[in-house]
Amino acid sequence: MNDTPTYLPESGDWSCAACGEKLAPASVAVTYLQGGFTITLMTCQKCGLSLVPEHLAVGKMFEVEQLLEDK
Amino acid sequence: MITATESVCPVCLARLPAYREQDGDDGWLVRTCPEHGPFRTRYWHGPPGPQGWDRPKIPKPGTEPLGAAPGPGCPYVCGLCPEHHQRTCTVVLEVTGRCNLGCPVCFADAGCAAPDPGLAEIAARLVQARGKAGPANLQLSGGEPSMRADLPDIVAAAKAAGFPFVQLNTNGLALAADAALAPRLAAAGLDSVFLQCDGVSDAVHTVLRGRSLAREKRAAMEACSVAGLGVVLVATLVPGVNVAEVGELVRLAASLAPGVRGVHFQPAACFGRYPGDGASVPRLTLPELMAALETQTGGELRAADFHAPCCEHSLCSFSASFGVALDGRLAVSGGGGCCDTGAAPIPAEDGARQSMAFVARQWGPAKAAPEPAAIRDDFDRFLAAAASRPKLSVSAMAFMDAWTLDLERARGCCIHVAVPGGGLIPFCLYNLTAADGTALYRQKSCA
Repeated sequence: MNDTPTYLPESGDWSCAACGEKLAPASVAVTYLQGGFTITLMTCQKCGLSLVPEHLAVGKMFEVEQLLEDK
Repeated sequence: MITATESVCPVCLARLPAYREQDGDDGWLVRTCPEHGPFRTRYWHGPPGPQGWDRPKIPKPGTEPLGAAPGPGCPYVCGLCPEHHQRTCTVVLEVTGRCNLGCPVCFADAGCAAPDPGLAEIAARLVQARGKAGPANLQLSGGEPSMRADLPDIVAAAKAAGFPFVQLNTNGLALAADAALAPRLAAAGLDSVFLQCDGVSDAVHTVLRGRSLAREKRAAMEACSVAGLGVVLVATLVPGVNVAEVGELVRLAASLAPGVRGVHFQPAACFGRYPGDGASVPRLTLPELMAALETQTGGELRAADFHAPCCEHSLCSFSASFGVALDGRLAVSGGGGCCDTGAAPIPAEDGARQSMAFVARQWGPAKAAPEPAAIRDDFDRFLAAAASRPKLSVSAMAFMDAWTLDLERARGCCIHVAVPGGGLIPFCLYNLTAADGTALYRQKSCA
């Protein structure tokens, strides 16, 4: 585990639709264009799919995406 | 290489079939009026050549076929008509015809005491324009809008009408003279000031604006920055007058970032009030300007850094964003987005949305850096780093006059003037004047 915050969904007990595994926090590399970040997301331990909660997608992730695309 | 389009006769404004001829890296607009003879005007001079700048747009799904203009057709029935290819990204609303300067160069031919529309009428036109244009950006223009004492009320009415980004086009004299004006406008909801600033020397202002203005421009920049308004320096460029100062103007803007958010160049077009004869006047084209920026900044800005627009017709503009380092040096930033698709067509609606969002972000006030205590992960660290290295946009728009009017470009225009009666008219068509000064649309305010 790293020391970054875990981005949890606002509610619910989540499991992977494909594998049925319960999601657990895991370090995830986010890459976009030339930029890369490491954050902690709820992730399926079997197939590696991660859950990006809505508040992250339309919040910081969107802000960073805009800055990367600015030209 | 020859491509077909349409244009008008600069003398009688009759619509004519026209051709874009590419000769090396130069582009020429060619047509012949049965009554007034042939016209051949260069609209592009230098690499990468007009073909290399092409960026076709796909009209919004469901709007194809767009249909033909009714009655006498394009460009005589604007408002917009079914033949138009792009949505509105910027509504321009002229709130007065009065001005406190009498510039030798003025596309609006402003400067007389025709009565202003009242606040209630302006508010109604804002609501009407917002309904027609959707959530577009708004620019309040004139004349000189700050001639109106109720300008903050107009800004508030624009916000109330639902315009998310409101910009003031001004010469800055009132902002320099009255320190209370910028905070009042900011409090009313103004986001950005499109500050006319043709260069860094008094000599340039004296030629183009009739008197020295450098000190007042600096005072206006300072007042707006302190008030939290984004400032864009806007230079009208006339060959032989101020093209040699484009690099210094970018340097000045960089030294004042992030208060100053961008520099926008407008090569002078022959409409409204302008010196010389439109048939023979030297024209500064976009590739020449890109080359001048590279030369005058010692290669810090490169012509290759600039890209064609996502929103308006590709031949109408260029832009790029540059990161400003602590020592003031500039380095191109960004990458990706719809503008990196090469020559592949992009959806016009997507391009418009991206362009509107970029303008609102980059030309509005800079975002403050997050507090150190709020920095919790790599996203926060990236946002904090970006805030400490401000960006400066450098862009230009090539207006078309009666000699350079290409109706394909006009039909791809996204900057629309909201006129009394509710019409939205592409900027260049609204301002277009024939060789004798006869306007296609604009009512002469000094008639």
